[in-house]
Amino acid sequence: MTTSVNRTIRERVQRIETMPAIPAVFLPLLRLLNNSVDEVKLDEVVRLISYDGAIAAQCLRVAGSPLFGMAQPPKSIKGAVISLGLRRVETILLTCCLGQAFPAKKWALDPAVFWRHSLGCAMVCRKFSEKLAAADHEKAYMAGLLHDIGFMVNCLAFPKEFAMAMERACQEEVPLHEAEHSTMGFTHCETGRVLAEKWKLADDIIAVIAHHHGVGQSQKSQPLVALVHLSDLLCRTRGLGYGYYERRMVDLIADPAWAILLQEHRDLEGVDLVRFTFELDEAVGEIHALVSTVFGLAPATART
Amino acid sequence: MTIVPQPPVAQPAPNKSAETVDPVYRQIRDLVYKVSGIYKAEEKLYLLADGCARRMKQTDARTPREYWDRLTAAPSRDAELRELLNEITIGETCLFRSQPQLDALRKVILPEIVTEKVKQVTKRLRIWSAGCSTGEESYTLAMNMLEESERLLKGWTVEILATDLNDRSVETAKAGIYGDYALRNTSDLYKRKYFSTVDEKRLQVRPEVKKLIAFSRLNLQDDSKMLFMKGMDLIFCCNVLIYFDGASKSKVINHFFSDLNFGGYFFLGTSESLMKLNDQFHLVHFPGTIAYWKPSLSSGKL
Repeated sequence: MTTSVNRTIRERVQRIETMPAIPAVFLPLLRLLNNSVDEVKLDEVVRLISYDGAIAAQCLRVAGSPLFGMAQPPKSIKGAVISLGLRRVETILLTCCLGQAFPAKKWALDPAVFWRHSLGCAMVCRKFSEKLAAADHEKAYMAGLLHDIGFMVNCLAFPKEFAMAMERACQEEVPLHEAEHSTMGFTHCETGRVLAEKWKLADDIIAVIAHHHGVGQSQKSQPLVALVHLSDLLCRTRGLGYGYYERRMVDLIADPAWAILLQEHRDLEGVDLVRFTFELDEAVGEIHALVSTVFGLAPATART
Repeated sequence: MTIVPQPPVAQPAPNKSAETVDPVYRQIRDLVYKVSGIYKAEEKLYLLADGCARRMKQTDARTPREYWDRLTAAPSRDAELRELLNEITIGETCLFRSQPQLDALRKVILPEIVTEKVKQVTKRLRIWSAGCSTGEESYTLAMNMLEESERLLKGWTVEILATDLNDRSVETAKAGIYGDYALRNTSDLYKRKYFSTVDEKRLQVRPEVKKLIAFSRLNLQDDSKMLFMKGMDLIFCCNVLIYFDGASKSKVINHFFSDLNFGGYFFLGTSESLMKLNDQFHLVHFPGTIAYWKPSLSSGKL
């Protein structure tokens, strides 16, 4: 990417901040998420969540979704933290905050489809990482949730250019990042990275945002980037993609990301990928429901 | 494999809450998967529960737990598991059973095979419907190939071999007469184009579709006959291997692998898995469906 393109991206990302109303708790929360779990105080998280009544109520509703492991919505934030653990509640808060940071609008990319993919990928990343004993499951969730944040940047900062890329992707049935590259000369990976750096996200999350379409190029956290790359591909073949047919065959096990992940997690070898694929289908309905809860978007049927 | 298609008895609403399902059904689901490779997802557990309910009546089991005993204790075990597999796969016998499979076939696989074969100056496509039952899958494939005959497959010869162990199934398949239930997923366009009316309730496949298919009786476990099934581009074998034990299944799959051309694909039923019975096939994903691929020589993935 040329320096001038890079400069344009930076300039336009600067202006994003004035557009959507980012909840007051969002940036302190991101700082909190950068800390290791034993440094984070329970009271601090509870205070952050309770700061915004609407977000607090939404967090409780989300915690009650079967996808987060509770049969009934918990009665208090503290109750949720006790039964779900601090890290998980943090990721729930992050999910809710993102819903507020990017309110539903008419974008080149249908926000309902975008959030289904992001939340779907977050879930798949977590489920996938749960098959690997040494992986950090909540980190995987967070990485999945944020990996495509660059698409939101594109919708806000490059609306016309990105609309053309989206149209091309739908018409030619090619992956969206390929259409972005051929139409705009850059992709959501670059724009997402700029926003992530501005938000001072953790280095491993930045690596995921910047390299989930080219795992080998990542200097850091390759196993996490690989996990998100594979989960993203899985989502796109199981009804949690970008709402159009991607005309391609995906060979996950032959993908270089598989080998990278396997190198770090030997137990990947024992994963029954077909059964895992079928299990993912079980979560699709829940994800649709959750997107309408968190993001206030009416469920609609997406094909892929 | 003969399973005479008939409507399932009672069909409850699809989104029945998972909590209402007796946990024993999850145990049964896991057992069924281990033995047959059929996986009923959580949201489809009610289908499994329905199948079990019908078998519970037949076997006088009063509770799901008692039925679990019938499924796991000798001497009833093997026979009962077979009966249950019949019950849970019965609804899958219809034309146009899996649209994602057909989309993958026409949008991704055919263009790829056509490009590859044109290089070899071959314009012949061979498809095998192994365990064709009463012909629904074979005719679906034939109609889809005919749809491509003016585009991708212009000037090509398409041969569909459809085999089944059961003579009666093969005869039914040859007749090509279907009622509403088998035709529930068939669009009006296809009905008008490829069928003629038999009577008020039934339609018959037209001769130009039948012309593409050769039906015959074949036992997949007959090694000497299996050796002759060479040069396939695509093999479909839906809900047939689920009845085989591990060793026979493995043998049949090895036959399929050697019967396929390089770059060919093997499809199972929509909720069926090959598990780890063959490490030469590559498991591949398409939107909404999976398949097994025999890597092409040019892919460097052999």
